Amino acid sequence: MSEFAIAAQGLGKRYRRALRAEQHDSLRDLLASGARDLLSSRAKRAERAAAEEFWALSDASFDIARGENVGIIGLNGAGKSTLLKVLSRITTPTTGACTIRGRLGALLEVGTGFHQELTGRENTYLYGSILGMTHEEVNRKFDAIVEFSEIGEFIDTPVKRYSSGMYVRLAFAVAAHLDPDILLLDEVLAVGDFAFQRKCMNFARQLEQKGSTILFVSHNMFSIKTMCERVIYLQKGRIVFDGPTDDGLKLYESDSKLAPAPWFGDASSNPVITITDVKLLNEAGQEAGVFDFGERLTIRMGYRTNQRVERPDFRIGVVRSDDIHCSTFSSFADEVDIPYVEGEGVIEVRTPPISLVSDLYNVNVLVREHGYGRILTAQVGGGFHVRHPVYASNAFGIFHEAGQWRVEAASKPAAANTERTHEFR
Amino acid sequence: MSVTAPDAGAAMTPAPIVEIRPDRGLFDLDLGAVWRYRELLWVLMKRDVQVLYKQALLGAAWAILQPVFAVLIFTFVFGVAAHLPSDGVPYPIFAFAGVLPWTYFAEAVRRSGLGLVTDAELVRKVYFPRLIMPLANVISPLLDFCIAFCVLLAMMAFYHIVPTWRFLIVPPLMVISALLALAAGLWLGPINVRFRDIKHTLPFLIQIWMYATPIVYPLSMVPTQWRELYSLNPMVGVIEGFRWAVFNHGDLDVTALSTSAAVIAALLFGGLLFFRRMERSFADLI
Repeated sequence: MSEFAIAAQGLGKRYRRALRAEQHDSLRDLLASGARDLLSSRAKRAERAAAEEFWALSDASFDIARGENVGIIGLNGAGKSTLLKVLSRITTPTTGACTIRGRLGALLEVGTGFHQELTGRENTYLYGSILGMTHEEVNRKFDAIVEFSEIGEFIDTPVKRYSSGMYVRLAFAVAAHLDPDILLLDEVLAVGDFAFQRKCMNFARQLEQKGSTILFVSHNMFSIKTMCERVIYLQKGRIVFDGPTDDGLKLYESDSKLAPAPWFGDASSNPVITITDVKLLNEAGQEAGVFDFGERLTIRMGYRTNQRVERPDFRIGVVRSDDIHCSTFSSFADEVDIPYVEGEGVIEVRTPPISLVSDLYNVNVLVREHGYGRILTAQVGGGFHVRHPVYASNAFGIFHEAGQWRVEAASKPAAANTERTHEFR
Repeated sequence: MSVTAPDAGAAMTPAPIVEIRPDRGLFDLDLGAVWRYRELLWVLMKRDVQVLYKQALLGAAWAILQPVFAVLIFTFVFGVAAHLPSDGVPYPIFAFAGVLPWTYFAEAVRRSGLGLVTDAELVRKVYFPRLIMPLANVISPLLDFCIAFCVLLAMMAFYHIVPTWRFLIVPPLMVISALLALAAGLWLGPINVRFRDIKHTLPFLIQIWMYATPIVYPLSMVPTQWRELYSLNPMVGVIEGFRWAVFNHGDLDVTALSTSAAVIAALLFGGLLFFRRMERSFADLI
C-alpha cells in the first residue's frame, strides 16, 4: 500500500475582493456600504456580490506520497500561497477536504513570531514552540540550532540588534530542526547569503533522505529543478499541470514568457507600453537558446504603446538561475537617446562578447520613464544557456575576464634580478 | 478539524492524521487542540511578561505604581473632595481593595480584546488553535496582580487589619474575573479583527464599566430597587467579595456572586461559539 502524506479533494478557497481591497476596516465604511446596498435593488446587490467574489483556489485535487518532493509553481496570484495556507490550517477551505498524515511544519515566512525585545535564546524557545516543538525538544536541539545558525555568542543579545542576515539564519535554523514529516516551504530558501542558501538546500536534501515530504513554492526554477521530481502548476487558482518537473517547467516557461515579472505588481492595469516579443539571436542572426562564452548576443524586442512615451529607458536585466542579478543593459545608462516611441516598433541590443560563466540565465525587460522614473512595464523575456567547459559559477563566480599577470621570481642571492612577465590572453 | 491518534502498537512512530474540512459543527469546540498546544500557551504567556518588563524602565514596579496612583487620585477626588462614603473603613484601603482586582480585570480585557490584532503576524502565518491567544492574554496579567497584592497586604498592616480565613475566597474570585475577562475577549477579539474601531472604543468601555462597578463608591450607595439590575454586572459580586474578605465584616453576597457566575457562564459559552465561528476567517481578514 502506498502511503500518502497529503490527500486533497476539490480544495477551494473563495475570497471576497472587498475583504482584500476595500476591507471594511472601520465600522463607518461598513455603514456607508450598507447604506449603498439598501438603496440599490436586490438584483444589483447579488450582481455586485458575485463580482466581488473570486476563487483564489478552486477544485484542487492531488495525492502526495510519503517522501515525495513537490514544487508548486505559478505566476503571482495563481493561488500557491493560498494552497499552502489551507494545507497548514492557517485558513479554512471554502470547499473540499484534505487529509494530512504526519507531523506538518509550515514555513510561510521565516521568523514570524520572533520578538524584537527578546534575546536569540529566548526567541529560539518562543519560535520553536510556535512551530510546534516541545520545550524539551528545543532543549535537546538547542546546541545544534545555534551551531547551524552561526550566531555564536550573540545568542544572548536581543534580536533587535541582529543584522537581517543573522535574524534570518537563526529563524531558519530553528525551523530546520523541526524535523517534520511534511514540510511546507514558501520561498524561504531565497533568503540569506549564497553560502547560507546552499546550507539550507543541503538541509532540505537531508530531510529528503530521511523520508520527509516537502512541498516547495518558489519563483526560482533552478531550486525547483534541483529539489523536486514533480511539480504542480497553478494558473488562476486551478491546477493546470501535475507531473514531472521538466515537462511542468517547460510549460511554465512558455506560458510565462512576456508575462509581468513576479515582483511587478501593476499587472492588471492597462500598461502604457507592452513588450510584445523578445528574441535572443546569435551572431548568425538566428534564434538560439545556447550561446558560447565569448559570443555576442542580440536581444530583439518588439513593443506596442498606447500613447507616445517620451525618452523611454529600455532596460534588459540578466538574472542567473539562482536569482542573482548579473548585469543590466540600459539605453539611458548607455547614453543612447531614444527621443520617443509610439505605436509599434522593434529595439535591438547587441551585447559585448559574453563574459558570464557557464550557467542558465533569464532575461527581464523593463521600460522606465526617463531618468530612473516610473517603471512602465516589467516582463519576463526568456532564458538562455552560456556554454564553457571550465568557467562555471561554482568556481568562477559570475563572469570571467582574463587578468594581466606579472610573475616575479623569488630573489636568489647570486642570480641577477631577472624579471619575467607573463601575459595570458 | 480533528486529530485521531492511530492504533496503539504501530511499529512506526505514530503519525497524527489531520482532516481539513470547510465546515464544522456549531458545537464542535475542539478544546482538545487547546490542550495539545498548552506549551505554546505557556510560552506566549512567558513572552508577554518578559517583553513587558524588558521594555519598561521600571519593569515590575509598574504593577504596583499603576493601582497605587489610581488609588491616590480616587482618594483625593472621591474620598477627600467628594466625601463619598466607604462603609466605615479608611477610604484609601477601601478603594484599593476595589482597584486591585479591577486593574487585573481591565488589563485582561484590554489584552484579550486586542491581542489577536497585536499578534496579527502570527495569526497570518502560523497555525495554532486561536483560542490560545485570548487565554494567554487573560492569564499573564495575573502576575501583576500577585505583585500588587503585596501592596494590599502592606496597607492592611498599616491600617491594622488582620487577614483571616476569608482570604481563601480570593483565588476563586480571581478565577471568576479571569473567566469574565476571557468571555469579553472572546466577543471583542473577533470583532476587533473585523473592525479596528474596538481599539478606540475599548478604553471608554472599560472606563464606563468601572463606574458601573462599586470601586470608588460602596454598594450601599446604590438604591435598593436598582440592586438586582446592578448585580447583573458580574464584577459587582467579585468586588464585593473582595471587600468582604479584606475588611472582615458584613456577609458574603451570595446572590450577587451566583448572578455573576450565571451571567459569566452564559457570556463565556456564547463567546466560545462566536469565537470558533469567526476564527476561520481571522487569517483572511487580519
